[in-house]
Amino acid sequence: MKDVVFRETTAEPRTQSVPLSHLSLELGHLYMEDFEAGPGRLRRHFEAVRPWVEAARSAAADRAGGGRPRISTCFLVDDYFTRFSRPAELVPLLLAEAGRAGLTVDYLARESGCAVNGKVPVAEAVAGRIVEEPPPGSYGNRPPAAQTGWLANGVRSPAARTPQAMQRAAAWQPPTETAARRHSVFLDVELFSDTPDGQRVWSCPFLAAVWQLARLGLLRHQGDAVLDPHPHTGSAFPDDWDELPALVRLNPRAAPFAAYRTCSVLPNRFLPVEHAVRVILDQLEVDAEALRQVGERSARENVSLPASVADRVSYLFYAGS
Amino acid sequence: MAPEGTAPRAVLACGEVRTCLLPAGQALDSRAAAQLLRLRADERVLVSERPNLYGLSPDTLTGVDCRLPSSNGARVRAVGTVAARAALTEGRVLQTSAYFRVPATGPDHRRPWGQYLVRPGVVEPFGRLPREAVAEGLLDGGRHGELDVGLIADGMQTRLLRHPLLDHRPPLRSRPTRLRWVALPARDGDGPSIERFTLAEDALRTVRLRVPEGVRSADIAGLCDDLALHDWLLTTVVRILDGIRLGPGEPWPRPGPAGDLPVVVGALRPAVDHLLHLWMPRARVSGELAHLWAALEERPGFTRQWLTLVQRVRDQLALHAIPPSYREVEPRP
Repeated sequence: MKDVVFRETTAEPRTQSVPLSHLSLELGHLYMEDFEAGPGRLRRHFEAVRPWVEAARSAAADRAGGGRPRISTCFLVDDYFTRFSRPAELVPLLLAEAGRAGLTVDYLARESGCAVNGKVPVAEAVAGRIVEEPPPGSYGNRPPAAQTGWLANGVRSPAARTPQAMQRAAAWQPPTETAARRHSVFLDVELFSDTPDGQRVWSCPFLAAVWQLARLGLLRHQGDAVLDPHPHTGSAFPDDWDELPALVRLNPRAAPFAAYRTCSVLPNRFLPVEHAVRVILDQLEVDAEALRQVGERSARENVSLPASVADRVSYLFYAGS
Repeated sequence: MAPEGTAPRAVLACGEVRTCLLPAGQALDSRAAAQLLRLRADERVLVSERPNLYGLSPDTLTGVDCRLPSSNGARVRAVGTVAARAALTEGRVLQTSAYFRVPATGPDHRRPWGQYLVRPGVVEPFGRLPREAVAEGLLDGGRHGELDVGLIADGMQTRLLRHPLLDHRPPLRSRPTRLRWVALPARDGDGPSIERFTLAEDALRTVRLRVPEGVRSADIAGLCDDLALHDWLLTTVVRILDGIRLGPGEPWPRPGPAGDLPVVVGALRPAVDHLLHLWMPRARVSGELAHLWAALEERPGFTRQWLTLVQRVRDQLALHAIPPSYREVEPRP
């Protein structure tokens, strides 16, 4: 490339790069009902998670090609749908129960950080990156069946019209999954709802999709990384969730938060949510430069990486609720 | 036209750009331009002030799964995404541009959508691409139901024209133009070239290019945006001069309220206020493609025509500044 004499920084794209591990291993999500079920619930969760964590670690080591894989662990607490407990009470309990099972939580995240982080409307920006899967016959026209606030993995059933008197009702037509193999598994995901006072509430699968993008190092806002880990200094945790950064590094020696691949160990009840996450991830156009940076870095490290973002995400579901 | 990212080698690129006057009384400043072009909350609008004021929106994608037009009736289904973006020059001329590139072959089944989304702006054929037939088909425009890249550029234009920043009181009458282009690989060792630039009816222009491997489709689109912008300027100023009656016919001093402009001056002044400073070929064309302008400067001579038009506008205005009693001859075109 020729030397450039004149440059204008506002005219050039700029994308911050983030450090990357091989694997981001999620040790669980915590919702109010889990907390209300008492510390026994957390203990059973971490006990159930532990063997799968070891399996995920050994699979990551195989993929890292002999070298020691960089693996970071994380845990997500819901402070978005319901506010419960206080960080000062909950975080030490969580860490103690994880420690009892021999697990270390490197990073703790708050779910509301996936909706809005400081002044950055993270979820809204990600929603702006949805490129709907075109059904066959899409030639550049607007998709006719777009439903505000919903995202499907195929073509919806035509809306049934009220039959007029003396007319036969139109025959029902099935929805179809666009990428179906012979038979469809059609899924229609609610991305958000609006409260009567105009407040937008993002759905759990949508925030979980944002969470996956953050863990894959693919989330940017105007070129800057979103969900930067803040080191935890001092020993106490605040009394209010809002005073806790959206992402806290609890372990000072932890590998980087974001990683080439993610793995989440979750109870079975998350299966439908995570199916929805996959449908969303499969229709998101992520920041092209961030994607390029991750691809280039993995190639330099000889780490093979699926092209598709949704394929970089994996799960281990254990029996239980 | 080489690998962009992980995508397979493209052997055909195609796009369409819509150019129109921004329907606003005043040109937008750089801040307002950035607001207009903010198609996404999380991506910056690129704003440049040298050598002229210019804003470029982020690319947005539209998914397609349909047949590609072809001149010989070959039925080629293709799946992928078309990229589209908008640009505003000097806060005055709005361009929306949609483009894509096509590899020589693709799998003969549809893959999961996420795999297409990591190759933005790539439309993959099922099987082999009949390159020449599809290139001609694309330039001629397809039949209903075949890939219509113009529709995507049009959709973005419609969306932007609804922006509340626009008062829909343009200072002059003008018509939008469309420029459709295809780019095929250059023969080994050859540089980029324009094979054909056609002014068709109905404000449609078509351009057929040859480009060597390694030229990004966004850069080809950038060249074609630049050609379209200047072609639109020529078209618009020619039409302004066409539409007025030159020569005598107005008494001096003019009747009517003081401050009323003669018809000719009234018609030409908006061109001076809003258009004449916009001529700047190659301002943002990538280095490897910039010399393609030379062919058009040679024949038909874009800049030559522009300079003549500008001179005519200025001469008319100068003549009308002189009271008739001092004119030895009446103004003539």
